[in-house]
Amino acid sequence: MRQKFNAHKDARAFARGMMFLSPWLIGFFGFTLVPVLTSLYYSFCDYSLLQPPVFKGLANYRMLMADPVFWKVIWNTLFYAAMALPLAMVASLAVAMLLNAKVRAVSIYRTLVFLPSLVPTVASAMLWMWLFNAKLGLINNTLITLGVTNPPAWLGDANWAMPALVVMSIWGIGNTVVIYLAGLQDVPRELYEAAEIDGASPARKIWHVTLPCISPVIFFNLIMAIIGVLQIFAIPFIMTGGGPARSTYFFTMYLYDNAFSFLKMGYASAMAWVQLLIVLMLTGLAAWTGKHWVHYQGK
Amino acid sequence: MSARSFKISAIPRLVIIVALAGCGIALLAFGPRAGDEFPKDCVIVDYWEKWTGVEEAGMRQIVDDFNQTVGREKKIFVRYLSTSSIEQKTLVATAAGVPPDIAGLYNQDIPQFAAMNALEPLEALAAAHGITSAAYKKVFWDECHYDGRLYGLVSTAYDLALYFNTEIFQQRADSLRAKGLDPMRAPRTIAELDAYADALNQFDASGRLSSAGYLPLEPDWYLNYLCIFFGGRWWDEASHRFTFTDPRVVKAYTWVQSYSKRLGPQAVTEFRSGLGNFDSPQNAFLSGAVAMELQGTFLANFIHNQKPSMDGKWAAAPFPSDDPNLTDVTYCNADVLVIPRGAAHKAEAFEFIAFVNRQDKMEKLARSHCKISPLVKVSEAFLTDHPNTSIKVFDRLASSPNAHPSEPIPILPEVTAEMNNFVQQLALMQVTPEAGLRAMEIRLQKKYDDFIESQRARGAMKD
Repeated sequence: MRQKFNAHKDARAFARGMMFLSPWLIGFFGFTLVPVLTSLYYSFCDYSLLQPPVFKGLANYRMLMADPVFWKVIWNTLFYAAMALPLAMVASLAVAMLLNAKVRAVSIYRTLVFLPSLVPTVASAMLWMWLFNAKLGLINNTLITLGVTNPPAWLGDANWAMPALVVMSIWGIGNTVVIYLAGLQDVPRELYEAAEIDGASPARKIWHVTLPCISPVIFFNLIMAIIGVLQIFAIPFIMTGGGPARSTYFFTMYLYDNAFSFLKMGYASAMAWVQLLIVLMLTGLAAWTGKHWVHYQGK
Repeated sequence: MSARSFKISAIPRLVIIVALAGCGIALLAFGPRAGDEFPKDCVIVDYWEKWTGVEEAGMRQIVDDFNQTVGREKKIFVRYLSTSSIEQKTLVATAAGVPPDIAGLYNQDIPQFAAMNALEPLEALAAAHGITSAAYKKVFWDECHYDGRLYGLVSTAYDLALYFNTEIFQQRADSLRAKGLDPMRAPRTIAELDAYADALNQFDASGRLSSAGYLPLEPDWYLNYLCIFFGGRWWDEASHRFTFTDPRVVKAYTWVQSYSKRLGPQAVTEFRSGLGNFDSPQNAFLSGAVAMELQGTFLANFIHNQKPSMDGKWAAAPFPSDDPNLTDVTYCNADVLVIPRGAAHKAEAFEFIAFVNRQDKMEKLARSHCKISPLVKVSEAFLTDHPNTSIKVFDRLASSPNAHPSEPIPILPEVTAEMNNFVQQLALMQVTPEAGLRAMEIRLQKKYDDFIESQRARGAMKD
């Protein structure tokens, strides 16, 4: 009798738990899992949204392999990632270390570094478009003042548009800096004291104490940055539209064009799955190398 | 938590829930609701349109006219909704089975949407209203068709001509005369246009281009159709083949590249980066940064609104052509009203479309948008009171046998993307016209053939 009562009580508790979980469950199944699985099916179809999907097997994936624009956007995206990712990682860590120093008015500096992260993407893009303006921009006028006779046209020059976007990516490191800062403040003081007693220089303290202690934070930021840079969309979409001559045309922009301009939803779905595979491979690679350089406390 | 404490804490919770539910019911019963402002005995026709600002105000007047006259008589009420990204929203709503009754698209959208069965054919409704090709300038009637069927009717229309700054022509009259050019008129051939451009170019002390006579890239909106001024077309409708390697098309893009060759790609890029937004006093033509520009009828509105001091200091003439015998060449474009597939009130929607296409309403709308009328019959008052003082030039051009529509290609967005990339490469001297056009022809023909094959496999297209 008591067993039956307990079972009934458990069932009610389970039902109540499910009821509280239901908003998330409905959201997850309805707006994430089902669309994700549907897009996997569509990636094997000829589908325009306006007509029923027609199964074509691997045709979309074969077409991707033969599409020169696909390879161009892959190259652009990986090239951008290879430049922006290390730069942002190093710059944000360096800034976090500076902001971790015991100096006066440090909270003001921290606020100033974080402020750009609060500026809406479109506003940032417009601001940087003016900074990079070849004729009237602050950057080129400064370069001319410094004696550079023929400064680049930045966003108008196919060779300089990508570096310009990389430079701009530093603008939004505020979030990463805050995470690093939290990690840096968790490094035990005793370790620094022990290193000082052993005669370690500041550089050696960073190398042997700081970096190993915050390696889980670096790892987290690395994974987030890999995912972020591979999905770059809004900034180049606004600032360059992918030009000039597709020099800043990224993977997600081509995916968007295929889906909503060319109405090739099946092709765009195939691209999305290829992108997922690339992200998985790179994060997997980062996780694998992490075994050798990420040190968790207590292990 | 004990049973007693649960009950005590549950009471205020219950009160809040009951109060909120009561508020909700009261709101449903007595609160404001969509449709309250609409007559109850009318069919509501939902009309989505892309315009905002002055252009929206112009169309709203027509909607109000309809609702107060024909709509009242026939118990139809048009509900206007201004919406951004009109193509994408119409597309998604149509795919979901809840489209608006009328959508205001661009004429270039018709082939893509029609090929995918997203639009209702309108021949029967048009015939029932007595609307025939005879009433329209041919180019605009053609632009409303795809594969022989009528899918929309024009709401506003424009064509292109060469705007020239008469004040700059007078200020630099000596430079023009020195080269044997007449400062009192616009150039008539491409060779003359180049000569005028060279004579009007000005450079600063450091040798940088400070103002240009003419640049094919300014604005870069119509570069896909520049070949028509050389007598070329890059699409053959009869054979359904791209003809980018046609010598006249190659000649057109060789001409485009000649400006980068003469002035230097870096100089052109730098000069263009200093130009302001189109809808601002810093607009290249309004600021005097370029003295001549290929632009649509509507530019006069922007001149008047953004720089009234420039009124009367410009004129428009037919854009020059490569061959003196090729006259009155222009490219025509239109905003169209379509009925998406699955619309709930087709007949009522067409009542409004037909109303917009009445001569008086069309002229009223065209005047407010500073555009031409797509109709053959144009009133004298329209031509004399129009805000564009060169309206007669534009009207004549649109009626010309050399007025060209957009190419009726269902993969037009892909063509446009490829051509934009090609022109940018061309301007940066990354590709020769011949090589770029040949590569583009092969790529786009393959895309087109694949599209047609897939539509045929679906049974969505005739053989």
